[in-house]
Amino acid sequence: MNTIVLALLVLVCLLVGTYGIAVLQQLILLGPRRAGAALQWPIANALLLLRQEDLMPRGADGFLFRSAPFIALAVVSLTALVIPLGPHLIGFDPSIGLFYFVVLLSPFVVSLMNAGWSQNSKEGLFSTFRAAAYLVSYEVPLGFAAIGPVMAAQSLSTQRIVETQAGLWYVVWQPLGLVIYLLAALFVTFRHPFDSALAGDELEGGVFAEYSGPRLLLFKIALDAIFLILMAMGVVLFFGGWQGPWLPGPVWFVLKTFLLAGIVLWAARFLPRLRHDQILSLSWKILLPASLLNITLVGILTLFIPGGGR
Amino acid sequence: MPHLYFAIDGGSGGHLLTALAGSDPYVRQVASPRHANLLIIVEPINQKLLPAVIEVAKALPRPAHALLVRTDENELDQFPGIDSTSLEENLPGSRQITANSLGTVLAAVLHAGQGAELNLLDTSESQEETIQLPPKEEQEMATELAVLSLGPIQPFTAGSLRLFLICDGEQVVSARVESGYAYRGIAQAIMQAEWQRGLVLARALDPLAPLACQLAFVRALEQLQGWLPPVGVTMLREAAVALERVQNVLWWGVRFMRLLDDAFLTERFYGLATALDGCRSLLWQEPPKIWIAPQQNLTSHSVGRSEAINHLGQVLRGVEALRKNVEQNRWLTLRTRDIGVLSAQSLRIAGVSGPVLRASERGNGDVQSRLVARLDVTVDDLERAIEVLAASEVSSAHGAEWQVPAGETRMIVQGPRGDIGLHVVSNGGERPAHIEWQRPSAVLLPLLPEILAGQKLTDAETIVASLDLAMAEADG
Repeated sequence: MNTIVLALLVLVCLLVGTYGIAVLQQLILLGPRRAGAALQWPIANALLLLRQEDLMPRGADGFLFRSAPFIALAVVSLTALVIPLGPHLIGFDPSIGLFYFVVLLSPFVVSLMNAGWSQNSKEGLFSTFRAAAYLVSYEVPLGFAAIGPVMAAQSLSTQRIVETQAGLWYVVWQPLGLVIYLLAALFVTFRHPFDSALAGDELEGGVFAEYSGPRLLLFKIALDAIFLILMAMGVVLFFGGWQGPWLPGPVWFVLKTFLLAGIVLWAARFLPRLRHDQILSLSWKILLPASLLNITLVGILTLFIPGGGR
Repeated sequence: MPHLYFAIDGGSGGHLLTALAGSDPYVRQVASPRHANLLIIVEPINQKLLPAVIEVAKALPRPAHALLVRTDENELDQFPGIDSTSLEENLPGSRQITANSLGTVLAAVLHAGQGAELNLLDTSESQEETIQLPPKEEQEMATELAVLSLGPIQPFTAGSLRLFLICDGEQVVSARVESGYAYRGIAQAIMQAEWQRGLVLARALDPLAPLACQLAFVRALEQLQGWLPPVGVTMLREAAVALERVQNVLWWGVRFMRLLDDAFLTERFYGLATALDGCRSLLWQEPPKIWIAPQQNLTSHSVGRSEAINHLGQVLRGVEALRKNVEQNRWLTLRTRDIGVLSAQSLRIAGVSGPVLRASERGNGDVQSRLVARLDVTVDDLERAIEVLAASEVSSAHGAEWQVPAGETRMIVQGPRGDIGLHVVSNGGERPAHIEWQRPSAVLLPLLPEILAGQKLTDAETIVASLDLAMAEADG
């Protein structure tokens, strides 16, 4: 019974958080003077999509096409379980929580590949190839960036990583790790400027080109939710998670997560969409060496920083 | 109630649709018709484009609505290439409006949900057009080529154009261009109309730059009539056309930055474009299309209005700052430098003029230099326009003269995409004996296969967008 309640609680938190991310995006897009529209748009858009026909193109792979948005949302929900919102507020806290989190990110990309592949269109196929290329290239730097906090905390437990930052947030002495993590997080969430698999006007919406109505809504929710989760994990790894003075832990956690998400979304506005080969070059030629350098630096620093290598 | 719309531009809606996309928080453009609940079609739609329009309409999930937008300039019955009734017949449930301004269209979009729903009974799907792949080479290790058909409804030109890209993965191996989707038969229409009516039809050659086309026609008439306009008149006409060029560059900038998905620069271009449109509406009591008439000694006007000129000065400063930003923006450079390079020599041979040629003469002819060249031209045009408008004096006006003696003349006016040329032959009658237009976008089309071969798929679209093709003008 407890498990069901817990699962529902996580889902509700995820949906509310996703709504918050959608509002934040609209606020950044429209400006604070149109805050009313920013608050209303996600709900109005969801209602519109719910009313729409759920179309499937001729020649599509029915099972993959129909299941892809559910897989995406399921994966996001599972990753949310290991995010600690407070000292005792976590879905479940396995000793390999961070490993579980990183591993579960791959099926999310696979669900997008299924969506692109199954729709029987060349635009979808091209987008699928792009998503497949990113799947390999983002995982390595993301994993390596996360190794820094793991080395410092000497634990893969997300809750433990937060607890070890009581004195000093890891961002203070692992800023390079944070930058690599955020860039890789933008990769995995297909966020601008790394969104060429979704492609916007370029390939008629990319992997989502043929989706309509409720299934498109599920994908939109999944995309916003995975971004929220990645930002939340960024707060866990580098900004002390729920730790902070005066306010309750969950409040601190939510504030930090949305602040980080806001900064990332705001900064991305200033960039054009990068070409897929530029994205891959950035990953393999810059982020990968930088993440190895980061691991080396963290290894050395843990010897000198008090509590760094507890 | 939000509106997610998919837009189809028959050739004359470039500025209107670009402005609409950022005008209201509840009205958003989407990339795929599957994501839309509203289809906006800017007429005219010719018979070649009609099947694609119907396919798009079928692709919309229900409930959906369709809005047929007819602009003032489009008196469709005049064009031999257009059958104005077939679109409404093929899209039952669609609603037609005449757009006088962005506000009219926006109001219609916001109330689109209250009208009848789009009701297409035919559910059969047509085969997607494609082209034959070259024979497969017998190699041990070779990837399979794919034909990607982009268009005819696509976001990187103003109006419809189909590109068949033969791709090896993300690499474009070769390309084929299919145009004619915005053909209306302007030259034939003008030859069938009287001189005065021809002046109105001339504006439709390039619906995004009607003044430049009109001025070419007016000057040709005046030359045939042997009338030389006073310097003041000439300068004011030039100023009006220069501001039209600026308007074109700024709205093109919005489209181009949207394609690159650069929100910041899109906003900057959008702000300047709307500010300029505001200035233009303040500047003249009567729109220039009225007062640019043959032998009209000018005008019913309010030139020298200091408020508008001050605003133009602000736009000028904004464009200068934007130009600096574009040149120094390293991320933008990453996407635009060294792609789609066109040599000045090949452009001259092809008869290309305007900002595209200038970019190759003064820069290295890539996408970035075309962007900078357009902004350079804009700065020059704004400076000249401000100077002329501040200095010009009021003259008296008299009626236009429509008697055209027999003769032949050629005239060139600098349009936003290059030189718009006109060859007119008169036999002294009520109608022109022969009309031939020189269309700057048309001469760029044959260059596309060469420029696209070897490019990345993503770059191919950026390159085509950088050429600022106006398909109505290209197809004629």
